[in-house]
Amino acid sequence: MHLITRNWIQVLLSAGILLFCGAGTASTGNGIMPDTENCLLCHRYPAMGRFDKTGRKRIFYIADELFARSVHGKLRCKNCHIGLDQIPHTNVRKVDCSTKCHIKEPSTGREFSHINMVRKYEASVHGRGAAGGSKPFPEDLPTCKYCHSNRMYNSLDGLWGKSEALSNETLARCVGCHTRKEWARNFYSHFTHRMRRRRTQDEVVKLCTSCHEDQKKMARHGLESISTYKDTFHWVQVKYGVRNAPDCLSCHVPVGYSTHDIRPRTDPVSPIHLSNRVRTCSNQGGVQVCHPGATAQFASGRVHAYGVKAQILAGEKVPDEQEPEMSAVIKRAGMDISEKEVFHYRVLKLLKLFYKLLIGGVISFMLLHQSMHFLRSRRKPHGTGQAFSGKQGGNDQGRCG
Amino acid sequence: MDNSITAVSGRDVAREAEAAVEKRFFVRLNTAERVQHMTLVVCFVLLVVTGFMLKIPENLVKPFGQAAESVFYYRSLLHRTAGVVLILLSFCHVGYLLLTSAGRRWLRDMIPGKKDLLDMRDNFLYFTGARREPPEFDRFTYQQKMEYGALLMGNTLMSITGVLLWTEYLWSKFLVDVATVIHGMEAILACLAIIIWHMYEIHFRPGRSPLNQMWLTGLMDEEEFREDHALHYKKIMSDPELKKIYLRKEAP
Repeated sequence: MHLITRNWIQVLLSAGILLFCGAGTASTGNGIMPDTENCLLCHRYPAMGRFDKTGRKRIFYIADELFARSVHGKLRCKNCHIGLDQIPHTNVRKVDCSTKCHIKEPSTGREFSHINMVRKYEASVHGRGAAGGSKPFPEDLPTCKYCHSNRMYNSLDGLWGKSEALSNETLARCVGCHTRKEWARNFYSHFTHRMRRRRTQDEVVKLCTSCHEDQKKMARHGLESISTYKDTFHWVQVKYGVRNAPDCLSCHVPVGYSTHDIRPRTDPVSPIHLSNRVRTCSNQGGVQVCHPGATAQFASGRVHAYGVKAQILAGEKVPDEQEPEMSAVIKRAGMDISEKEVFHYRVLKLLKLFYKLLIGGVISFMLLHQSMHFLRSRRKPHGTGQAFSGKQGGNDQGRCG
Repeated sequence: MDNSITAVSGRDVAREAEAAVEKRFFVRLNTAERVQHMTLVVCFVLLVVTGFMLKIPENLVKPFGQAAESVFYYRSLLHRTAGVVLILLSFCHVGYLLLTSAGRRWLRDMIPGKKDLLDMRDNFLYFTGARREPPEFDRFTYQQKMEYGALLMGNTLMSITGVLLWTEYLWSKFLVDVATVIHGMEAILACLAIIIWHMYEIHFRPGRSPLNQMWLTGLMDEEEFREDHALHYKKIMSDPELKKIYLRKEAP
């Protein structure tokens, strides 16, 4: 396979060079940044790609018109892809989002970089740690690209509804002074896109659960699967697509917090630290004021349903010694769930059991009673009052029916 | 046993004779009780439908698409409205029981006694064939008393837990969790009980019409009444005061 792909690349490269030798810089002319680095000489071909060593399909095709309409459309390739001065590209470095990309950040006039976000992120619960990191299983930690794609500005999204006509009208006013239409469009798109949520509530839950529902992955870090969220009334609203329904970010990243700066709940900075709970639950000042009158008593409770950790502490689940991942969960269980909460878990569990028995018992009695009544009534037609003799059983039906 | 001659002739004969003999009906539910029952029916159905909508799995909500949000909004509104109406109805019913003579009579007849236990025993004996006839029931059978008691209990629990869940921010999360469990489990119990106990008793059991209109007319015809509430029938027929209350000559 590798041999074939390597040959294929060589054929493609030769063909490209033959065809476009001396064609100069490729430029599409419709307001797109001219390709001064001449990358499109090769990368304009949709078939450009290969399978890497792990067998993963990699596509190196760049649709320049689409790229120009993306968040990063104004950047040159080498701003992010450092190296790249050999063909084939053997010295390419992994893209680092904290690189300065030679674009002026308008509020400071300095070179733009995502370094602020990257620093925050590295210090957060999802990051590798400020000092380069010594976290176990660093491969589980999400990278920038796990959540972020090179987002497109394809459609013009206004702030009020998704009317493209309205956006066109607005833009028409902009370009009166800002005469470079493409620049105005990008500026407008950047602004209006940032005013919207990137993902719906449902999509946020999907993104977070893509890792947090993976039991093995979570167990390695002493965490349990977050599927218990789906037992809450919060999830019911998200399920129905209710606007501003509480997804993961609503509580873990409320107003004034950054998704890049999610901290463990033991950190006093975290919005779900006990001292910040009332503010988080009430969410005053947020788009959705959730529990405006939240008392400390209410806010200090456990939101997600009890899961594996409560079961372990209550002695209901004996973790398998063969599973080394579980040891981290056992170690953290006592830290995360107080004795009082274990008691709560027990009470809730007993209550559920009581109701299951009650429902089972009552309904069985009812079914028994009614089916006996049904069978008996069929043997004695209604309204006759005729004497029934149990001994005649079989004949009765024929005679009276 | 004393009515075996007329009974053998059966309903068809009775129907033929209808023109000649005046038909008599017995009041099972008076107007006030029918209004209360109808309100309860509407509220109960609304509460069940809008309540269990929370439990619909995700893939069944998806087809609602963009409308799901509005569906949820009206679901919540209807559930709370029906809940409030039902709570108000409960207070009205307590008032009815204590303040009106018909209500006090209802309460007196509804209080369970030793006879109900014996009736239940006898009824089971009848089911197994060990007894030739079912026991003679008074105004309310033990089935009806049990159901009424369950309704009182369930309604009280559902109202309390419902209000707790509505004012969730005032209570500890543990109490809210307990209320959630009770509210959900009671709902399942109530639904199953209504289907198996009440619907069977009123509509599906042999001898009852699936279109039984007693809940609209409040009346039961003499034949059915004499069979299902033999003791009460005897009491009425021997007491002119009770006759005034329960006996009707006009067609429903």
